[in-house]
Amino acid sequence: MISASPSREPAAFLPGVDRAALAVAFADRLRRRGMPVGLTAVQDVVRALEADPPTSLSRLYWAARIGFVRRHAEIEIFDEVFAAVFRGVAVAADPNARRRPGGGGGAPSPTGPRLPAPSREDRGALPWATLPQVVAGAADSAASPAVPERLPGDVSGLADVPFEHLDGRSMELLGEWLRAAVAAWPVRRGRRFAVGPRGRRPALRATLARSRRTGWEPFHLMRERPLDRPRRTVMLCDVSQSMQAEATAYLHMMRALALVAGAEVFAFATSLTRLTPALTHRSAADAVDHATAKVADRFGGTRIAANVHTLLASHHGGTLRGAIVIIGSDGWDSDPPDALAAAMARLRRRANRVIWMNPRASAPGFEPSAGGMAAALPYCDELLPADTFASLRRVIDAIARTRSSSTG
Amino acid sequence: MEGTGTGTGTGTGLVTGTADITRRLDDVGYLVDEGTASALFLALTLGRPLLLEGEPGVGKTTAAKALARALSTPLIRLQCYEGLTAGEALYEWNHQRQLLAIRLAESRHDRLRDADLFTEEFLQERPILRAIRHEGPLPPVLLIDEIDRADDEFEALLFEFLGEAAITIPELGTFAARRPPVVVLTSNRSRDLHDALRRRCLYHWIDFPSPARAAEILRRSVPAAAEPLIRSATDFVGRVRGLDLDKAPGMAETIDWVSALSALGATGLVRQDVVRTLSALAKTPDDRRTIGDALDGLVGTGP
Repeated sequence: MISASPSREPAAFLPGVDRAALAVAFADRLRRRGMPVGLTAVQDVVRALEADPPTSLSRLYWAARIGFVRRHAEIEIFDEVFAAVFRGVAVAADPNARRRPGGGGGAPSPTGPRLPAPSREDRGALPWATLPQVVAGAADSAASPAVPERLPGDVSGLADVPFEHLDGRSMELLGEWLRAAVAAWPVRRGRRFAVGPRGRRPALRATLARSRRTGWEPFHLMRERPLDRPRRTVMLCDVSQSMQAEATAYLHMMRALALVAGAEVFAFATSLTRLTPALTHRSAADAVDHATAKVADRFGGTRIAANVHTLLASHHGGTLRGAIVIIGSDGWDSDPPDALAAAMARLRRRANRVIWMNPRASAPGFEPSAGGMAAALPYCDELLPADTFASLRRVIDAIARTRSSSTG
Repeated sequence: MEGTGTGTGTGTGLVTGTADITRRLDDVGYLVDEGTASALFLALTLGRPLLLEGEPGVGKTTAAKALARALSTPLIRLQCYEGLTAGEALYEWNHQRQLLAIRLAESRHDRLRDADLFTEEFLQERPILRAIRHEGPLPPVLLIDEIDRADDEFEALLFEFLGEAAITIPELGTFAARRPPVVVLTSNRSRDLHDALRRRCLYHWIDFPSPARAAEILRRSVPAAAEPLIRSATDFVGRVRGLDLDKAPGMAETIDWVSALSALGATGLVRQDVVRTLSALAKTPDDRRTIGDALDGLVGTGP
């Protein structure tokens, strides 16, 4: 269908180039950098080059970018690969490759762009999600071998252990246990309707369809009611130095929320990182590994106010509207308290509920006196302790309890 | 001439090249950069839907409107919102008229069959079906505005239309467009769109225009404004966008603001005028204060 022979126009920028081969090779480089490029996209580019033979490098840039790139985050990867491939040609002609910092100087070697950290690295360990491990875990504490329901008992025993005394495997187990707890999530009334006997609004279409059975005489008036939708949820987790012990456990909680309640989840220390795509990986261990690798600034300082502000200003700020916002942090903030108060006030105006989880709150004699915590408290609906998995579960239960009381 | 190749396969032959579409959009008062022009040209030539993303107020919707004007073809607009269903986007049966027809048939003692009730007479066209059945020398431009505001169930509804430019109505059959409409989707990224939707579209990210182009756009949209005012205003907005704001002013706000200044008779940027018209630029109390505090550094020395 597509002729791969060079075009006849003498003005063409790349005379004698096999367009199909060019597009496929380029797509291959993009894929190696982790950018998903489908066959449709490759075909688009070939047809674009055919329809409008590029007369300059910038023409070629736009044709390739519009064909290959499908989301904003991919533009940067594309620019880097484009710069790496066509650096020797005439980069000076292209303002767009120059504009981005990654495009020019720091470009990868000409032999091919350097691969990012490979996702399929071999850890040399057994696959984690196999049955023997769970059995082994159960056999370790084999006090009464007659009890058949071993697993839940084990988990609830572990649930009260502080995070720092848990190993990775128990964490995973508890993460899965948490996932089961997020079953009954608060809902809001949606704008879609479904036919049902409890509805109040007459449903004309259904009434007419029903009347077909009664010789087109509409005997039965059908009604429809609004459908409930799960309330949006956003969770922010502090991964700074002071929260080192809790960080992994909170990642498990975020994963549970992201998978079951469709939450948007973010980690922050000095800057904000969106973890939703990384954490929704099918395997818990991989998900937590990906998420940990993604957060560049973990175990550094904390800037809560700046990060809440960044979230409000970003295009994810819209997901906060009418949402349940959970913040997991100890409230030690290096930004001034009034900056946090201002950011929290804005957050409160958008959110339906704001819940603060503090790992220190269960200590006897705890008072929310840390600068940030004291400033944020007036804008929180609840301050809950979160230092063990049992307390994380209580946080989830506390949110689920509001299911019936607040539907507005 | 640049870009002489017309589309080979599904090409509509509406435009001859990037330069052509740039000129025609220019004629209707819409200035495009090379990237946007390429995106629009490729969407027309390849016959694919175009997904436009960008910050609010960079002119995504305006691009679609201008495209319709430039091609002198009607614009059909579908504004998305949560709960949008096939009944509002594709087609709906006119149930009231169907009920009347049933009564009428009854009084005449006619025999009524299914096929009598589900004919074109009772079919109500909604934007997408209207775009498909459009009769005219040129295909219409269909603008599906702010697709991120619709829920993901609605995206699935669009797939058949975006892929094949066809709609299936179970009672009547499949309607395929004789001339596939030019489809432009816009999104503010408030929700992540599904990959299946992205795969079916060409994608273009519209950047905020450079100061020189912003000035050019202002000259077009606010003809009454004085030249020094336009230049200092674009400069001012460029620096305001560098501040830490809740809502950075887009092109739409800039146009509003310059119109306001020009309505007050300003020929240059004076502190008093800026303060009086700031509400056109700053849309939250916090932003008002931030810009107000930074005003001394932004306006310069005054008159």
